[in-house]
Amino acid sequence: MTRLLAALAALALATAALAVGALFVGSAPLSGRAVVAVLTGRGTATPVDEVVVLSLRLPRIAAALLAGGALAVAGVGFQGLTRNPLAEPSVLGVSSGAAFGVVLAQVFGLRAGPLEALGLTAFAFAGAFVAGSAVYLIAAGAGGLPVHTLVLAGVIVGIFFSSAITVLISIVDFDRLGGVVHWLLGNLAPLPPPALGVFGLVTALGFWLVLGQSRRLNLLALGDEGALQLGVDAERVKRRAFAGAALLTAAAVAFAGPIGFVGLIVPHALRMTLGPDNRTLVPSAFLGGGLFLLAADTLARTLIVPAELPVGVITAFCGAPFFVYLLRSRSARIAP
Amino acid sequence: MRRSVGGRRPLGHGRSLGTIAAALLLTVMLPALSAAGLSVSDQTGRTLTLPAPPRRIVSLVPSVTEILFAIGAQDVLVGVTDFCDYPPEARKKPSVGGMVAPSLETIVALKPDLVVATSAGNGEAVLTQLDRLRIAVYAVNPTHLNDVFDLIARLGALTGRETEATRLSTGLSVRVTAVAKRVAALPRPRVLYVLWPDPLIVPARGALVSELLVLAGAASVTAEGGDGYPRYSLEAAVVGSPEVIILASHGHGQGPMAREKWERFSALPAVASGRIYSVSGDLLHRYGPRVVDGLEQLARLIHPVGP
Repeated sequence: MTRLLAALAALALATAALAVGALFVGSAPLSGRAVVAVLTGRGTATPVDEVVVLSLRLPRIAAALLAGGALAVAGVGFQGLTRNPLAEPSVLGVSSGAAFGVVLAQVFGLRAGPLEALGLTAFAFAGAFVAGSAVYLIAAGAGGLPVHTLVLAGVIVGIFFSSAITVLISIVDFDRLGGVVHWLLGNLAPLPPPALGVFGLVTALGFWLVLGQSRRLNLLALGDEGALQLGVDAERVKRRAFAGAALLTAAAVAFAGPIGFVGLIVPHALRMTLGPDNRTLVPSAFLGGGLFLLAADTLARTLIVPAELPVGVITAFCGAPFFVYLLRSRSARIAP
Repeated sequence: MRRSVGGRRPLGHGRSLGTIAAALLLTVMLPALSAAGLSVSDQTGRTLTLPAPPRRIVSLVPSVTEILFAIGAQDVLVGVTDFCDYPPEARKKPSVGGMVAPSLETIVALKPDLVVATSAGNGEAVLTQLDRLRIAVYAVNPTHLNDVFDLIARLGALTGRETEATRLSTGLSVRVTAVAKRVAALPRPRVLYVLWPDPLIVPARGALVSELLVLAGAASVTAEGGDGYPRYSLEAAVVGSPEVIILASHGHGQGPMAREKWERFSALPAVASGRIYSVSGDLLHRYGPRVVDGLEQLARLIHPVGP
C-alpha cells in the first residue's frame, strides 16, 4: 500500500511539474515573466498572452493528460481481460472502430458543443464496442485468446474500419471532412470548456469501471476456472472491464483522435517497475499515461515551430519499436 | 477546394506589379510555326511541338478552365475536372474526374490534342503517365499574381484569342491598380488569413494570398512564418494579435469555417471588435481572373471606409 502511494505521489508530482513546465513552452515567443503574470494575475499580461496561456496551452495540456490517462488505463483493462500483453486500443482495432464512429458522427454534422460532444462520444463508443466485440468473436477459440490470433484479429478489424473511414471520406464532400485526415493521426487541440468537461466526465466513468474490476482482473490471470474457484464470475468481470476500456478509448478518440501505443508503452513500463497488480496499475497508468502523452505533445508542438507535428506520430515512433520488443521477448513465453 | 493548398510551393521569381504591363505587351510565347509544326514552351519552360494549333483541349486546372471561358475559348475545351465549377457552364463539359488522380481512360477517350496540367495540383504521376501515352501536356505552375496575367496571355496565344486575352488582362490590371492605390496611404491592420482551420493552414512567404493581402492594404501576421502555405500552430497565429481575421470558405460556402473556434478568443482585437469575416477561397486560391474579385473583397473587408 505504501508502495502504491509512493508511486502515485511520484507520478503525480512529475505530471504536475511537466504540466506547469509545458505552460511555458510553445511556438509563441512568450517570456516566462508574461506566463507567470497571466497565471498569478499580477504584473503586465497583454490580452494576447492570456489567450495563449489560458485558452490555448492550458486546455491542450488538460486534453493531453486526459487522453493519455484514458488510453493507458484502457490498455491495462484490455491486457487484463484478454490476458494478453500486446492488447491495446490501437493494436486491437478498437481505436479504429471508435474513429469510424467519430467520422460517421461528423458526416451527420456533429461538432463541438456540449451536447454534440456527448453525441460524438456515443458514436465513438458504439464504434469501439462493435470493433472490440468483433475482435473477440474472431479470436476466441477453445483455449481462450491466443496472443497472435488476438493481435491478427485486431489488425484485421483495424484495417476494416480504416477502409470504412476511407470510403466515408471518398463519398462525402471533401470540404466537410477535410480535417479528418489530419485528425486520424492523433491530434490534440485546445478543446472548448464544455467539450473538456464531457471528456473529463466520460473518462472518470471509464476509469471507475476498470478500477472497480482491478482486483478481479488479478484473479482472472489465473484463468477462467481458477477465477471461478475463487468465486469470480469471469464473464461478468470481462464484460465490465471491456465496457470501461471501450469507454475510455471512445473518449480519447472522440476528443484527441486515434493516438496509438500509449496503452502499450505506459502499462508495460509501469509493470516493470511496480509489478503486475492491477490495483496499483490502474491508477498509476492514469497518471503515467497523462505524463507520457503530455511529454509527447509538448515535443509535437515545439519540434518544428511554427508548425506542429501530430502527436500520434511521436507516440508511434516510440511505440512501434516497443511493440517489437514485447513481441520478441514475451510472446515465446505466453503464446500457447 | 484545391488539393494543392496544403503543399509548399517553390518560391517563384518575384516580379513586381509594374512588370504586368510589360508582360502583357510581350506576349512572350508567340507560337513559332515551322515545318515540323508548332513549337511552344509551357509555363515550366518545357518545349513541346504540336502538329497544329490545339482544337481539343482538356483542362486539369480549374483556373485554366476559368481563363479559357473568360477569353471565349470554351469551344476548344473538351474536358474538365470535377473541381472546374466556374463559370457554371463549365459543369456541362465532360469531366475526367478529380485533380489528383483524373481518369486517364476518360482523357484518352476525349481525344485531346493538348492537356493543360499543373505540377502543383495534379501530381507528377499524372504528367508522367500522359507523357507515356504520347498526349501533349502543357504544364503550368502559377505562384504569383503576375503568373495569372502570364497564364492569360499564354492561353490566349495557344487558342488564337490574343485580342480577348489582352482585353481581359488590361481590365484586370486596371482594377488591381485601383485597389492598390485606394489603400496605399491607409494604415495596415494586422490580418490573420485562415486558409484551412484544422489543421491550421495559413499563407506565408511567396504565397499568392500573402501577395494579395499586401495589395489589399493588410499586414499579414503569418507572412514570415514559412514558405508557401505552411501548417501553423494556433498560438503562433494568435500571438500576432490580429485585428482582422479572415476565414476562407471552400466549395460553395459550406466548407469548414470554424468561426466559433476563433470567437472563443475574446481577448483578441479582431474578436473583441467583431472583425471576423469570411471570403470565398475559390476566388483567392485559384490563379484565374476572379482572383481580382477576391482582391477587391479583401480590400473592402480590411478597409471598409477610405478614399
